[in-house]
Amino acid sequence: MNEKLKQWLLDGCALAPGLLGGGVRLPDGNCVSHSFDENCPAERLDETLRCLGDSLPSFSTHGFMPRWLTWTFEKGQIRLAERADGLVLGLAIRPGSPAAENLDLITEEFFNLDLAD
Amino acid sequence: MTTPAKQQQILFVDDETSFLDTVRAVFTAWSKNGWRIEVASSSDQALEILKTRKFDLIVVDVNMPVLDGIQFLRILNRRFPDLKKAAITGYASEEKRSACLANGAELFIEKPRSSEGLKAIFVMLDELVTWKQQAGFRGMLRQVGLQDVIQMECLGRNSSILEVQDRQVTGRIYIEDGRIVHADAGEIKGEAAFQKLLSLPGGSFQLQHFEPPAERTIEGQWEFLLMEAARVRDETASQTPAAEPDVEPEPFPAAESPVAAEVSVRVTETLICSGHGKPLYEWQCADVNARMALLLEIGQQAARVGRLLPLGKFDRLEIQLPTSRAVAQVKPNRMVFVQVVTEGGHS
Repeated sequence: MNEKLKQWLLDGCALAPGLLGGGVRLPDGNCVSHSFDENCPAERLDETLRCLGDSLPSFSTHGFMPRWLTWTFEKGQIRLAERADGLVLGLAIRPGSPAAENLDLITEEFFNLDLAD
Repeated sequence: MTTPAKQQQILFVDDETSFLDTVRAVFTAWSKNGWRIEVASSSDQALEILKTRKFDLIVVDVNMPVLDGIQFLRILNRRFPDLKKAAITGYASEEKRSACLANGAELFIEKPRSSEGLKAIFVMLDELVTWKQQAGFRGMLRQVGLQDVIQMECLGRNSSILEVQDRQVTGRIYIEDGRIVHADAGEIKGEAAFQKLLSLPGGSFQLQHFEPPAERTIEGQWEFLLMEAARVRDETASQTPAAEPDVEPEPFPAAESPVAAEVSVRVTETLICSGHGKPLYEWQCADVNARMALLLEIGQQAARVGRLLPLGKFDRLEIQLPTSRAVAQVKPNRMVFVQVVTEGGHS
């Protein structure tokens, strides 16, 4: 599964200019991340993914079941989406870039990604 | 700076006499005797002086003993409604600013910590006292953002026209009974114009007395309009090359504007709090404390992310739900939560 995820991150997401980095947090807490920008190293992406992934249950305690979340900062956005099987996608993108425009499409692709071996 | 034709009469009220001595000496010199400055070390003393002379502007320290600046502003506003008022404080906060503006101050400023800061205050006060001579202006809110003024006008269910100007664009935002009903910016009208005006990187704005617009081009709820404008502004800023500050930003074509599309947006919940978590406005918010807790959690998570990745300041979190969307904006001086249902389009 890890290999398929890595391949999808490299093949699918990397095609969208403006993607700073992306990763998937697995149900066991491990992360598979890839950096496309030197300012967003993979280990920082892993940590960000864990941090934001851990915050997801708190939204349900507030009565929200988000399909996805978009954290917007001055110089970047982070899209977070959780699949029913517990995989959590995190994408760091530059606002206004092609990646930002395709964010919903990439997220839908993640939801529909077949990871069966 | 425009040198006023007549000598401006300005009264400073502050219990810190060293500050009074400084402003009297420095501002008189900088104004080239265009200002005649009187000082009072208490509100009582100021009221006595006001009985004997007519002033163009009074500058009141917010933190005074016995009768504080906010209470004093309230009295001044009742007894001297035509007198221009500015509030000054060494410790600015959102609560103080809101209270001062609500009690009649046209300007809320923080006490300077440097000579440059003192100069900036002088320029602001000079502009305020100069604008006083022009008909039609209710005041200038230079320390308050354009978004804040719109928010205050809408929350107060006021009717006004906000004229916004930069070097290339002049536009107007019409607010009627707390609803944004029309905006124009050059040839652009409606929500696209509203967004363009709120996207301007600088410029000036003035509140004018309300007159009905020739047409009404905006129907959306102001909370959502402001949130969308913030989103469009961020996107525009990220697309505008930083090295070309003099280039006029491209107008927002209506077809590309997300709120100009054929969608109906219905706000279902709104909460606005100060940066310290004090609720300022709520509408259909079932549990204010819970929402506030969520906003604080979001702010904390954003701060953690900000330490991990170089993404700059946090602006907002958009939560896409199965049938609705929520936006949580967490800023140092303001927290906003808006939930909307979008019908007839994609969100």
